[in-house]
Amino acid sequence: MSKRKADDSHMPIGESISQAQTLLRERLCHQRLPTRPEGVASQHKHLLELLKRTAVHGESNSVLIVGPRGSGKTMLLRCVLAELLTEADVQKTLLQVHLNGLLQTDDRIALKEITRQLSLENVVGDKVFGSFAENLAFLLEALKKGDRSSSRPVLFILDEFDLFAHHKNQTLLYNLLDVSQSAQTPVAVVGLTCRLDVLELLEKRVKSRFSHRQIHLLSSLTFSQYLQVVRAQLQLPDATFPDSKFCHDWNASVKALCEDKSVEEVLQRQFNSTKDFRSLHRLLMVSLCRVSASNPTIKPADLVDASRLFSADSKTNILHGLSILELCLIIAMKHLNDIYDREPFNLQMVYNEFKKFLQRKSHSMYNFDQPVVMKAFEHLQQLEVIRPVDVAATRAQREYQLVRLMLDHTQIMEALQKYPQCPTDIKQWADSAFA
Amino acid sequence: MAACLQHTGYDQERLLHVSDKLPCRVFQAGTLLSLMGEPSQYSYPSIFLYGHRSTGKSHVVSTLLQELELPHATVSCVECVSAGLMFERVLLALFGPDTTSLLPRSPSLSDFVRIYRQQCPQSPANQTRFIVIEKAELLRDMDANLLPVLLRLQELIEDNVTVILLSEIVWDQFRPNTGCFEPLLLHFPDYSKGDLQQILSQDIHPSYSAELYSAFINILLGVFYSVCRDLRELRHLAALNFSKFCEPLKEGKVKESDTHKLWRNIEPHLKKAMQTVYLREVSSVQWEELQMEEKESGAMKGLSAHAHVELPYYSKFLLIAAYLASYNPARTDRRFFLKHHGKIRKTNFLKKHEKTSNHLLGPKPFPLDRLLAIFYSVVDSRVAPTASIFSQISSLVTLQLLTQLGHDDQLDAPKYKCAVALDFIRAISRTVNFDIVKYLYDFL
Amino acid sequence: MSTSSVSKGCFVFKPSAKKRKTCDVADYFSHSCDGSDNSRLRYKLCQDLWDAIKADTEKLQEELNRKILDGLLQFIRKCCSTFQHNADDWVSRMRASEIPTAALVLGVNVPDHDMTFQSLCELLQQSVTPHVAFLQAKECGALKNLMQRVLERLMGTAVSVDEEEDEAEQPGGTQPRQKGAHCTLATLCEWYECKTKKSNTPGKKRSSANEDEPQRPPIVIIFKDLEAFNPRVLQDFILICSRYVEQLPLMFVFGIATSPSTIQHVLPHSVSSLLCIELFQSLSCTLHLATVIDKLILTHHFPFKLNGKVLQVLVSIFLYHDFSVRNFIKGLKLALLEHFLSQPLSILCCGKKEMVGNATQLSHQGLESVRQLASFRRYVEQQKPQEQVDLLTNDEHMKETCKKLLKGLHKYHKNFYPILRCLHTLTNALPKYPLGKQIRELHIMCLEGNVWEKEEYQSAMQLLRMLAKEELVKALKHSEEILTPCKSKKMKDVLVQLQQLLDKFEHLDETKTETAANEDVITSPGKSIQKKTDLFQLQKTLLEMKETRRTKKMSQFEILRNEALEFMSGLVRSYLAPPETQPLYEVCYYSSSTVLRRHLNATPRTSIQTALSSPYHYLQNDKLLTEDGVSNAAPDICIVHKLHLECGRLINLYDWLEAYATVVSAAEGKDPDSEDYGKVDELKHARFIQAVSELEFLGFIKSTKQKTDHVARLTWGGC
Repeated sequence: MSKRKADDSHMPIGESISQAQTLLRERLCHQRLPTRPEGVASQHKHLLELLKRTAVHGESNSVLIVGPRGSGKTMLLRCVLAELLTEADVQKTLLQVHLNGLLQTDDRIALKEITRQLSLENVVGDKVFGSFAENLAFLLEALKKGDRSSSRPVLFILDEFDLFAHHKNQTLLYNLLDVSQSAQTPVAVVGLTCRLDVLELLEKRVKSRFSHRQIHLLSSLTFSQYLQVVRAQLQLPDATFPDSKFCHDWNASVKALCEDKSVEEVLQRQFNSTKDFRSLHRLLMVSLCRVSASNPTIKPADLVDASRLFSADSKTNILHGLSILELCLIIAMKHLNDIYDREPFNLQMVYNEFKKFLQRKSHSMYNFDQPVVMKAFEHLQQLEVIRPVDVAATRAQREYQLVRLMLDHTQIMEALQKYPQCPTDIKQWADSAFA
Repeated sequence: MAACLQHTGYDQERLLHVSDKLPCRVFQAGTLLSLMGEPSQYSYPSIFLYGHRSTGKSHVVSTLLQELELPHATVSCVECVSAGLMFERVLLALFGPDTTSLLPRSPSLSDFVRIYRQQCPQSPANQTRFIVIEKAELLRDMDANLLPVLLRLQELIEDNVTVILLSEIVWDQFRPNTGCFEPLLLHFPDYSKGDLQQILSQDIHPSYSAELYSAFINILLGVFYSVCRDLRELRHLAALNFSKFCEPLKEGKVKESDTHKLWRNIEPHLKKAMQTVYLREVSSVQWEELQMEEKESGAMKGLSAHAHVELPYYSKFLLIAAYLASYNPARTDRRFFLKHHGKIRKTNFLKKHEKTSNHLLGPKPFPLDRLLAIFYSVVDSRVAPTASIFSQISSLVTLQLLTQLGHDDQLDAPKYKCAVALDFIRAISRTVNFDIVKYLYDFL
Repeated sequence: MSTSSVSKGCFVFKPSAKKRKTCDVADYFSHSCDGSDNSRLRYKLCQDLWDAIKADTEKLQEELNRKILDGLLQFIRKCCSTFQHNADDWVSRMRASEIPTAALVLGVNVPDHDMTFQSLCELLQQSVTPHVAFLQAKECGALKNLMQRVLERLMGTAVSVDEEEDEAEQPGGTQPRQKGAHCTLATLCEWYECKTKKSNTPGKKRSSANEDEPQRPPIVIIFKDLEAFNPRVLQDFILICSRYVEQLPLMFVFGIATSPSTIQHVLPHSVSSLLCIELFQSLSCTLHLATVIDKLILTHHFPFKLNGKVLQVLVSIFLYHDFSVRNFIKGLKLALLEHFLSQPLSILCCGKKEMVGNATQLSHQGLESVRQLASFRRYVEQQKPQEQVDLLTNDEHMKETCKKLLKGLHKYHKNFYPILRCLHTLTNALPKYPLGKQIRELHIMCLEGNVWEKEEYQSAMQLLRMLAKEELVKALKHSEEILTPCKSKKMKDVLVQLQQLLDKFEHLDETKTETAANEDVITSPGKSIQKKTDLFQLQKTLLEMKETRRTKKMSQFEILRNEALEFMSGLVRSYLAPPETQPLYEVCYYSSSTVLRRHLNATPRTSIQTALSSPYHYLQNDKLLTEDGVSNAAPDICIVHKLHLECGRLINLYDWLEAYATVVSAAEGKDPDSEDYGKVDELKHARFIQAVSELEFLGFIKSTKQKTDHVARLTWGGC
């Protein structure tokens, strides 16, 4: 009750906090474009040049943007496009076609999508085309004989470019690149992919038609720059934000946060593991969620907790919830792994191992008959803690199906440590097979 | 309630109500809620909830979404035999029935996204839309692109949508080899003993006091917690044993306060129930019956007790022959089944290098001919190879006592495996007084 | 039908059975049996008899299933009542989330199950709920099909399911699909909702049924053969169902052939924890058989009888091969048909009155065939010479005697079975069962010959001689019960005598009390025996008894016991004579067991072998008659088979063809030194190919990967 009263009294803060949340969330979750992409200035320039040539001077072109996931390929492209579209005539003429390898899983669908995005359905109507090439040609032609005589430049953006390479004899790629070679309609083909070996996927004829322009996004951030990025991500814009005082406090707190020792080492760890922005956003997002009326700023602790949340090993989490019996089975498997160095095993062997243990222990707390053990085994299999060696032989007796353990030594031990009220004898057994 | 949800975005009263509905899960609910943020705010594109069965994953999510009246669609992958079905469900829940008619038959992902986009402006997204997907592990068996798309749906659709995946399996098992958009992982830990006590104590028997019931639960957990933490299973066990627990009360021997007596009364029964935990053999009614008859006959019986199977005479021998064929090495047949097998000394015939016994490795496949050969040598009278002998083999297969390997083209000799356990075959061979152990290589 | 396995062969596919149906069975009946006039009559008799038997068996089945089915129904009713006033009591609240499931263990005699399930469905539909879906494993290969079946069976409408089909007919066509055509439980829910609503409104169909019917009748889904279902499919289905427990009052019935523990094998805990299983065990099929035999065979109601061998065949098929009562009855039917078909005199095999009637209408020819009967001959030889002449010449007299004899046969049956039962009651408790535990064994014994001459009978009698009093009396009382319903005069007399015996046993007690002093000395061995059950021990004590008997005088009880046993064995001698001793027994008894065996327990492999190795056996063509079985004139397949016997594991096709060509041209009678002798022309080639592919079809050879121009041989041995 008292809490509620407190809320009422802080109402303006609550207001501004939710404002800040809205702003930052859009930034972190929805990839709201930053003013300038960090650390990729050269690539940005290069790409902009290329697209300009198509949009303005009507040259055809093709380029690949290659970089690991979350390295900001899409972000870069969208920045460039935004900048490109600031010019009025470009905005008028330039046509964009966005395709995604995940969505347009084959050329038929892709073509439908292209037609739709060029808003030519009515033109096409229910014509029948002999080949893909014809169809595409017709589309571009249709563009040409729009109201103006000069043909409009078309910009094809293929996200997940590598997936298009899996389409049936790469017709789409072939034709697009072919068009981009021939001097007819000005076409720019921009592919985004995270596979460095993407060119290997292309057929000869396709590859030969590709102007081997590639823009690599291997971010060369130093840690200090990284910190800058973090800070920039969390900063609130003084100009636009309504409550200037809160905004000032917030930014100050952010600055303080970035200078905090613990935070720094957290970020350092993050930085060493991966530089991509997505995982960073994830980290910041979680810590941002902690912010509420009761604690109006991001505390170092929040960030540390968030990082712990991510660094936690999920398998160990799962093990925590198992029953003693299942745990025993896992230990037995561990021993089996030690004996026959990581050869696959079946339930019978595990059960045997387990029984040996029970025989050593006089008290019969855990000796269940086979069906019960079977159930426990099934459960483990369901959790994919163990995997059958060949999935095909499911019809065979489950007792004798060969499986492998998907855990390693340390995970098991860690789980045992964490396990609530784990019996000591089992701990000893886990340590040595003959305890 | 110990803790209670609070979030500026929502009405406090409601949150209170919600947190009443989520015993021992307020913390998780809080985290989830804070991630979801206020309805108008953007939420993280995809959230992955994992945890054991009956740790309240779907319960928490559905309660939150329903109580707070957020636009959401819940689908279970078991039900969606095809991706199209899933799309239809989602659209139906989010945009109403008329949209589903827009879907073509066997719609592609592209269709789905297109239609979703068309619908968005018509029903403006001032609130975050949620798509909850249960049993997400099955997504992996469906269209390869489905999972990646769902994970980055927000970006692809350019709408304020969040996909929540629920699964018992850890995220590491999901990640496709070319990587994908990483969701936010959230773990639902299993209930602690205290939590279980609290939750189980909630369903009180109307005719008894709450204290008594919670005492009962306390005893129950004392026995079972070490071996079974599945809430569902524990509830089942509680339902099974409570009536037994109350018996002395009904008879008026003991009064409720005297917990120790009650404990001494119920304890042996719980110990027995221990043997059949997880098996789900008997419903409560039959359990009581069993308790009754088990008063006369000492042994505790479940379904597995009636494991004995009546078989026709020759089927029994066929099964025995199959067992021998699949657990004995073929080279030993001469020694076992030939009347005068020349000079096969037991010593040189037993190979030491076979370290693990066949009963550990399981049955080996054998051809039909071998089965019949052994059959004719074990069965006492001489049997004509009639049609019914062969039909018996196939009926044994349908009964899952034998398993047939490979394709069932009878022309090229089929292979079989024996799918019964040693005890079973022992029982069978006892009925035809055939001492099978004498013929088993492992027991020489 | 596909001939994929037999690629190159050319085959004749028989036209569908339509055409051959035209000829009426009765005609067939008359055609088949050698020009005797009364075929129609016999056919009618056969029909009537069979109908009677069929009716009885069905009644029997009903009774046998009643117990288990009633339990099941009660269970289902209970569940649906909890569905009605939803979960007011604690237990059902605890179980609210679980699907009630009945595990119905029926034993391995799968053929019989159909009947059980059929009656179950009917019972359910008329008494509990109209919504019953009956599923078999073979029609539910995938989850989709399973769903489809369920919805079809419940909603009675076809539902379009298969995405594949859609794609096949119209790849990605964008016409909107009609609603509700989906094969999901959601559809079922909608349907169920409106159904229940409708049924609540007055003036709907089935109104009569609906008064007592609950408002929300449960939906029962029956899985006929749980073992055969694909576990994956089953699990998914159950998981889906469990999501709809609130909306739909679902129930499952698992038909299990082997043992309940299969549930654990088929379903993992995550699934089985959604079920609330109750177990129902049907009675064992051997008991089932016992009752069937008791009602159908061991009765004089049906004039048609089986002799020992035939019965033996039927029973052994049951015990050794399939525990199927249905097949047993089929066998009985077959025997019936065969009898009426093959035995012209079977017109006399019917109820007493018709029999007499038919006997009077016997034609001369008929009488002649009667005279041919072995049993009748034997009878004649026992008569006086004058009588013999009359019998063999005077038809009228003959007819009279026939009637007499037939009546005698009837009486024989009337007396046979009660006495048989009495003997069984006496002997079925004896250690080691010298006369068999089941009555059917004793029955067969009696059919095969004079039972009292068998040493089993002797030993049984010896054991009986040392039976304790109360056991003996119990047995006698029981046989009294058996005899009381019998109407025949003889049996009445027997009953009287038996009662007198029993009275004596009653009074024995008083007499005993007086002479107790010297009793106990003597009866002590007798007493000691009462504990003994082991045969060997009994024999030993038997000897002792002999000595004691020699020395001391027997106790009153012993005297009485012997008296009783004498009486019993007297009965056996007079009434349990085998049927062969009865004149005209052929009329009623079907005896050709070999025919039956050949039909019911065929040996395809051997018959194929004989067909191939000695075609004469089937074709009866003298050209084929040679010393070594297969002549050159034999059909191609025989020749090819013969040749292939001479080859090894792998057969070179070309050599084979050559050899074949030589043989065939030899058969054509070409002279060996003409140049085209044994030359392969198209015709021979074609014939050869056909023969070879037929062999492949029969599974003698198969094509092999090892050598392209060879085939592998799948049989061993050769000549």
